[in-house]
Amino acid sequence: MKFIFGFLLIIGVLVIVPAVDLAFAAGDEPGEYLDRRVVIWNLFYKMMTVAFTVGSVVSGTIIWQVWRFRESHPKATPTRYEGTDW
Amino acid sequence: MTLELQKPRPIWQIMFSTHHTDVGLLYLITSLTFLFLGGSLALGIRAELFYPGSQIIADSMTFNRIFTVHGTTLIFLFIIPFASAVGNYYVPIMVRYRDMAYPKLNAIAFWMIPPAGVLIWLGFADFTWYATPPYSIISAPGPAADMWIFGLKILGISSVLGALNFVVTILKCKHPDMSIGQIPLMAWAFLSSSLIIIVAIPTFAAALLMLLTDRLGVSGFFNPAMGGDPIAYAHLFWFTFHPEVYVLVIPAIGMMYEIIPRFSRKPIYSYNSGVFAFVMLSIVGFSSWAHHMYATGMSFTEKTVFMVGTLAAVPASAMHVFNFVATMWNGRIRFATPMMWAVGGIALFFSAGAGGVVNSAMPLDFTTHDTYWVVGHFHLFVMGTIAFGSIGYLYYMFPYVTGRMYNETWGKVHFILSFIGTILVFFTQHILGLYGMPRRIYDYPPIPEWIAMNQIASVGAMIIGISMVIFLANMIHSSGKGKPADTDDPFGLGGKYYYPFEAKNPSH
Repeated sequence: MKFIFGFLLIIGVLVIVPAVDLAFAAGDEPGEYLDRRVVIWNLFYKMMTVAFTVGSVVSGTIIWQVWRFRESHPKATPTRYEGTDW
Repeated sequence: MTLELQKPRPIWQIMFSTHHTDVGLLYLITSLTFLFLGGSLALGIRAELFYPGSQIIADSMTFNRIFTVHGTTLIFLFIIPFASAVGNYYVPIMVRYRDMAYPKLNAIAFWMIPPAGVLIWLGFADFTWYATPPYSIISAPGPAADMWIFGLKILGISSVLGALNFVVTILKCKHPDMSIGQIPLMAWAFLSSSLIIIVAIPTFAAALLMLLTDRLGVSGFFNPAMGGDPIAYAHLFWFTFHPEVYVLVIPAIGMMYEIIPRFSRKPIYSYNSGVFAFVMLSIVGFSSWAHHMYATGMSFTEKTVFMVGTLAAVPASAMHVFNFVATMWNGRIRFATPMMWAVGGIALFFSAGAGGVVNSAMPLDFTTHDTYWVVGHFHLFVMGTIAFGSIGYLYYMFPYVTGRMYNETWGKVHFILSFIGTILVFFTQHILGLYGMPRRIYDYPPIPEWIAMNQIASVGAMIIGISMVIFLANMIHSSGKGKPADTDDPFGLGGKYYYPFEAKNPSH
């Protein structure tokens, strides 16, 4: 439990701090964002790089789990909860 | 776990029953009917956009009517009633109570849905599911627009009545031996989403009344010609409907919390973090509504606040994904149809969330605003997460409801086709948005990239359509002629499954 909260606190900080930085690329005057399109696209590519990296890790983990922990895997063993009224 | 399987009865006995499983069945049949109706409109939209120019739909007004009713139907008449169906079946069992707290109110809440659906479908309004003012006030043809407004009004009342019932059932009718920290996570999901409904829906109810009086010409809240402000409607609408996104997604995640531990043959990794994430999502859902409105001239400070508020949902969503992954770890997973839908739903939930982070960052939102990126993003949530979780749960509850097993092979075919189709349609729409294609258009210029991507999306939609026909045939056939199910352990997972604090002593 502590691990989850600690882990997610770090994730939260990692998400929100760059977000505040991102906000300053938007500008606050009408039409100004058009002048900053290069910055915006640069941010987009940065975010996509992060998204694809994290996405690859999470998706890769899920795909590996699906393969490794399927019940037909040669190394599959019963969990300690099986056969009990859990 | 048992649902009260009953012998076949005349349909009128079920229709006029107030028992929670009967009302659940009515919700289920109604929501699935609207799933197929709304889905067929989606196929019409995709067929029209297969090539530039007019294809099968006569004019842009008809096109607008079709996508308005498509969105309204699938959100209000499929997803929400489907969650109510599941909640009606399971919440009383999970809190160990004989029925919903107010059975008659429960039946009334259901019976508001068919007339509302009829109003929406007979009217066939054209002003999008957002009822865009000032168009919806000044130019939208009546009585279609008025019928839509009345339909939504009725659905709002139905949702609030249903939500009140769930809250009272969970908080006041749970077994005295159970603390609130012992109810299953799916019941927590229904509690969270019901509380959101109770807080959020009255705002839209007020906005609908204001819209109606504006249309009647007796007020000008949102009519610029009378000094009103359409942006005020946007605030009222999104104050309700951004939290409503969580009303839609939280029950689906709750359903995944039922499926994943069961088929992994392990308890959930962290119950407390699941509860925390549900509560957190319910709160931050209200701190992010204006991220739909960055392009309306809000101040820099407002935009920043709502951007950070939106991103606060990321850790809570990540908690759920982490919890699912950790639960499956070291399990012995049976990939029966419900589990395939749940795991597919997690993967697509993550993808949809990543797209949402891009939308929420305001400089990037200016690039993607009102493009097909947004269409791809929210459909990936609605179809990839909510519908996947819901359909997976429908397969899961099928033997408990009917006493028969569905056809496993066709269930898996349904999943595989839907998964492929969903990726083809909605991932492609993200890219289409980056190429600049605006949303809500009937025709588009013959740009080769746009044509190619629209065709990929349309083929994907047809694949989903085929999969849904398979699903329908499987459900109908199996409910009458499927193999009798062992309702103690229909999926052969071993052991008798109890809810965490269900009495193991029958005399308890």
